[in-house]
Amino acid sequence: MSLLIYGLINSVILALYTVGFSLTYGISGIANFAHGALYILSGFAAWTFMNAAGLPFWLSGILAVLISAIIGFVFYWVLLLRLRGIPLAELIVTFAAGVAILELLTWKGFYGIRYSLPVLVRGGVEIFGVGIDYQRFIVLACGVFLVVGLWLFVHHTRIGLAFRAMAQNERTALSIGIESDWIGSLSLAFGAALAAVAAMVVLPLGVMESTIGYEVLIYALAVAIVGGLESTLGMIAGSFLIGYGQIAAARYIGAKWMIIVPLAAIVFVLAVRPSGLFGKFKELEERV
Amino acid sequence: MKKGTILFSIAVLITTLLIIPAGPAGAAKPIVIGVPTSLYTPFGRDGLKAVKLAVEELNAKGGVKVGSEKRPLKVVVADTRGGEPSTPVHDALMAYERLITKEKPDAIVIGAFRSEVLIASMDLVSKYKVPQLGTIAQSPGFQKKFMKDPKKYKYLFRVTTDALVDATYLNNTLDILKNKYGLKTAYFIYQDTLWAKAFSGLMSKHCKKTGWKQIGFDGYAAGATDFSPALTKAKDEKADLIGMVWDVPLGAGVFAKQYAAMKVPALLIGFIPPMASPMAVKTVGPGVEYAMSIEFPVGASLPLKKLPKTVDFLSKFKKKYGSLPEAAAVNSSAYDAVFILAEAIERAGTLDPDKLVAALEKTDYKGVSGRIRFNKQHIAVFGTKDPNETGVCVIFQWQKDASGKLRRVPVYPDFLAEGKIQLPPWMKK
Repeated sequence: MSLLIYGLINSVILALYTVGFSLTYGISGIANFAHGALYILSGFAAWTFMNAAGLPFWLSGILAVLISAIIGFVFYWVLLLRLRGIPLAELIVTFAAGVAILELLTWKGFYGIRYSLPVLVRGGVEIFGVGIDYQRFIVLACGVFLVVGLWLFVHHTRIGLAFRAMAQNERTALSIGIESDWIGSLSLAFGAALAAVAAMVVLPLGVMESTIGYEVLIYALAVAIVGGLESTLGMIAGSFLIGYGQIAAARYIGAKWMIIVPLAAIVFVLAVRPSGLFGKFKELEERV
Repeated sequence: MKKGTILFSIAVLITTLLIIPAGPAGAAKPIVIGVPTSLYTPFGRDGLKAVKLAVEELNAKGGVKVGSEKRPLKVVVADTRGGEPSTPVHDALMAYERLITKEKPDAIVIGAFRSEVLIASMDLVSKYKVPQLGTIAQSPGFQKKFMKDPKKYKYLFRVTTDALVDATYLNNTLDILKNKYGLKTAYFIYQDTLWAKAFSGLMSKHCKKTGWKQIGFDGYAAGATDFSPALTKAKDEKADLIGMVWDVPLGAGVFAKQYAAMKVPALLIGFIPPMASPMAVKTVGPGVEYAMSIEFPVGASLPLKKLPKTVDFLSKFKKKYGSLPEAAAVNSSAYDAVFILAEAIERAGTLDPDKLVAALEKTDYKGVSGRIRFNKQHIAVFGTKDPNETGVCVIFQWQKDASGKLRRVPVYPDFLAEGKIQLPPWMKK
């Protein structure tokens, strides 16, 4: 039972890591390699608002999400605008920006035991004899809310429909009056905001340090590659495969193998089905 | 103005400039103390603060006497980043070597954080003949390598404990828990690094020898972020005790919070910085109650009523930096190391590395962490009996006081104890 429950929680955490990365890539085709850095930056931003300005956690969290969204938006106009359509350049510049953020955090001394966000509700319950804390329930609820909310957003709002149009065909979207740079920058802002939302619910489970940024990026990449870079369904499937894979590996092979699972999954999927389980990115070439 | 007058004026000016000393009167060349360590970790960061505190105290008294001249101490720092999970040993060594060649320190204190870096740096330090007083890395591999070529590695000393000492304290506490409190089943979890594996391995071995039932000995990668498999295993297999050794804040923080949240009915003991830290109640929450930890050596973060030097050092630290050190380890060793070095320099009367090493070998210093003397392997001698004879450590437990406030109560050894071990209500038999 604990395997089922903690496999589910681990999978939802991975989905939360990935949802913003996947959304940005799905809409604008930009692989935002600064995603992990924005995740941990928003955590430290919330901590700073709480401890330096004395704001409550909920307000600090909202401010951190807004800041992350603004940084994502600015990234597009400052760093990416002139590189649009050159995937390798986009990847390099976002990765460099991410490393710069993480190194800046380390340089400014953001490490150590003191950097910890509070859980929203202390305590926990037992389900079928397995102890679970309320914060992990919040993680589950947030994961479900984000996935359902995103689906409703992209199917029933003007911006969401514009996002989908861009994702399906940028030139056609342009021809019907959708401004691609505007939508591209919004996709970065939304992706960054989602990274921050994930940080606000997942980071209270432990303490914060800048290296988490690299870890989140690797997990987001692993899930997106396994599921299919631009596919929401693939993202969910990828999260569950890796999430349960990790818990099972720890349980039956050895705890130290947990870290190997996402890396092994990337190698396996790239060798067997480069588009990922649900991706259509290179489907034609694969069939040929 | 006549040409001769102008020339005379210039000559007077030049002569005056040559006569006036360049700096303040009596300013002697400083003794340079190099600190190449991982500032990313609380151990490196707070260790550096302790070193600076000690240097400030010595400089306030005029510095350290080298022969007939009193010279001030100067600290130069290199962040090796050796404690970050993704830093290769080679990168940390490059930073180490750069400090030695660029700043030309007369001695090194603190040194490597990760034991892997310490072992690798031993050749480097020997090559440049810089006396080093290491105060963090804990692997017994140090003395093994030292004994392979004591002449070559004579420049290296360890002022703090090692995993053998830490494990001895914890093993003695395990004996008490088994014999007095009836605990029988143990489960060990460790960070998959050299010192942590050695440390928890010694505890595991002791348990096997002394009749504990051991349900597991599992290593997790240093960057692990989920411990539910281990905690579930402990719960399912009814472990009375979880022995945990971890130093990277990220994993330790996740474990500490997850242990408290999952309400695993097993007593926690070992070394988990977020649970041992003075700020644990804020970071982890009230779930820290009953958790037991070692502080190695004494005075790292917990003021002990029975050792006034720990109270003195920590109150000075708090006054200068605003809070107690974060981690319950090695900070007092960094502080002591500077005084040990200063005394050795005064005894040697020179900064010549070989003569300084000879003086360091004769160290007999009563500091915050106890009495420090070096054995033939150049490691400080630690024991469990008397701080007037050796360095000492302490085991403490988070307990509620009469007002319901959680505080760290020393419970072992007896000569430092301020209370008795308490079992959680769910474990009382």
